[in-house]
Amino acid sequence: MRMTKRRRDTILGYCFISPAIIGLLLFVAYPMVTSLYHSFTEWNGLTPAKWVGLENYKFLFTSDPTFWPSLRVTVLWVVISVPATLLAGLALAVVVNRSIRGVKVFRTIFYLPVVLPAVAVLTLWKYIYDPTYGLANQILGFLHLPTSLWLGDAHVALPAILIVGVWSVGGTMMIFLAGLQAVPDEIQEAAKVDGANAFRRFTRITLPMIGPIMMLQLMLAMNAAFQTFNQVAILTKGGPGHSTNLLMYKIYNDGFADFITSPQLGYATAEVWVLFVIVMLVTVVMLRLTRNRVYQGEGS
Amino acid sequence: MTAAAESLAVGRSVALTQRVPFMVSRLAWYALCGLLAVSMLLPLVWMVSIALKGNGDINQLPPAFLPREFRVSNFVDGPAQIGFYRLLLNTVIVTVLSTIGAVVSSMIVGYGISRIDFPGRRLWFALISGSIFVPGIVGLIPLQHLYINLGLIDTWVPLILPAFFGSPIFVFLARQYYQSIPRYLDESATIDGAGHWMIFTRIMVPLTKPVWITVAIMSFQFAWNDYLSPLVYLQDAKKFTLPLGMAAFLSDQAGSQYNYYMATNLLFVVPPLVLFFLAQRYFMEGLGALGTIAK
Repeated sequence: MRMTKRRRDTILGYCFISPAIIGLLLFVAYPMVTSLYHSFTEWNGLTPAKWVGLENYKFLFTSDPTFWPSLRVTVLWVVISVPATLLAGLALAVVVNRSIRGVKVFRTIFYLPVVLPAVAVLTLWKYIYDPTYGLANQILGFLHLPTSLWLGDAHVALPAILIVGVWSVGGTMMIFLAGLQAVPDEIQEAAKVDGANAFRRFTRITLPMIGPIMMLQLMLAMNAAFQTFNQVAILTKGGPGHSTNLLMYKIYNDGFADFITSPQLGYATAEVWVLFVIVMLVTVVMLRLTRNRVYQGEGS
Repeated sequence: MTAAAESLAVGRSVALTQRVPFMVSRLAWYALCGLLAVSMLLPLVWMVSIALKGNGDINQLPPAFLPREFRVSNFVDGPAQIGFYRLLLNTVIVTVLSTIGAVVSSMIVGYGISRIDFPGRRLWFALISGSIFVPGIVGLIPLQHLYINLGLIDTWVPLILPAFFGSPIFVFLARQYYQSIPRYLDESATIDGAGHWMIFTRIMVPLTKPVWITVAIMSFQFAWNDYLSPLVYLQDAKKFTLPLGMAAFLSDQAGSQYNYYMATNLLFVVPPLVLFFLAQRYFMEGLGALGTIAK
């Protein structure tokens, strides 16, 4: 008997998407299930895990001296870095969204820091921030402004990391630019004829039209901000004090860096779950809040 | 004055009043972009300057942009010190394999999810795009343990294998692009007797060139830059990738050989730069698919 087209398409469809299904099971579902289990155990990764119930979470919230400072810094980081990078990316995209001679050169220059490997960029900035030999203090000195210890100053270290993030905002710029270029010129022209000024056209037409891209960028930026690791690992190692000890870095330290001496994988997993729940809550709340405020395009 | 000449004069004055602010705004735009470009490029110029300086000059006070002697030999001595070429070979192997994996698997999955009608595909698409927001750290500890049990720790398998299962973000990008390709193409091919595999390889692969090039560039950059996974999965310094090896050199030398380090860094930067320049046009087009996200 010949197979019906529908039946054949179903089998073929699952064949085509099977890599993603296996990937979801192997790299998302399996780690989630096992790590949830391990978060209730005392486990060094070598001997079998010992069930301790909520002990890890209890210790985390009540006794770990670095957890609350770390969480506070993480929240602060997300709250300042997400809007800063999104606004900078959008502003740059608006600037280079013109058909004018030389615009491609500027786009390339603004995108350049993103093409460069993160480790290369970060170690460069570490040297730029060097209080004695670095470029940053040289420029401040040249402008007769007070110099700074930069990464060595607990009040400046986090903003210094933010500067590096804003410097390499080209990826965000490119995605916004793609969105801006999809806004039809006719609508802009019509509004111009109706007497809308540039600011009004931007807030009433452009922004709503790129709403979906804005949402995507917001989600990606938040996800990335909660998981900021390289900057901390290479620039500050969490210091000075706990001023840059982001949760992601603390988890790495508890679970991996002290692996040889005192591996605490069960405990680190509990921290992972706290981070995971926070990210999910924030994502869901953001989706709810913005559900009806985003232009969905015709037909949907 | 004739009516025609009058209207011409009016026309000219209108053009003039429009042209002057236009010129001003264009000059202002160039000034703004120039300023931004300088601030973007300054750190990189600084990097080149350090890379060319002599050993003593890197700690010279006040630091100067122009080296006292141009030491081009840093580009030979630095890589030799750091063991650059072994790191480079390791990184190329890991990056090329995982990029191939990411492109092939993401495009196949993207085709299946957007061009084949089958029950459950909306659910799977929702699951795949939802998993973009699951933090990668969730997988790190269980997967490390899994790789230890499979005897794959301290090999490149954990760095390469995941790419072959279609990264959610790339599947999403591919799907967005596929949505913009008209349906009648597949329909007429089906009438001519082509199956899905044939439609995919003969029609869609050439048509979706911008998106698979975009995926290739992005996954190349990701693998080339990745620091956390090699840090967790590799122990033997002979297997290190560039980001790991460079960072290790820096913490060993405590910054005393910054000129060597920066010279090597500049070599490290070349492959992704060249790739980006070669494929820039397609990259912009591929990202353009995100502009149609709502549809």
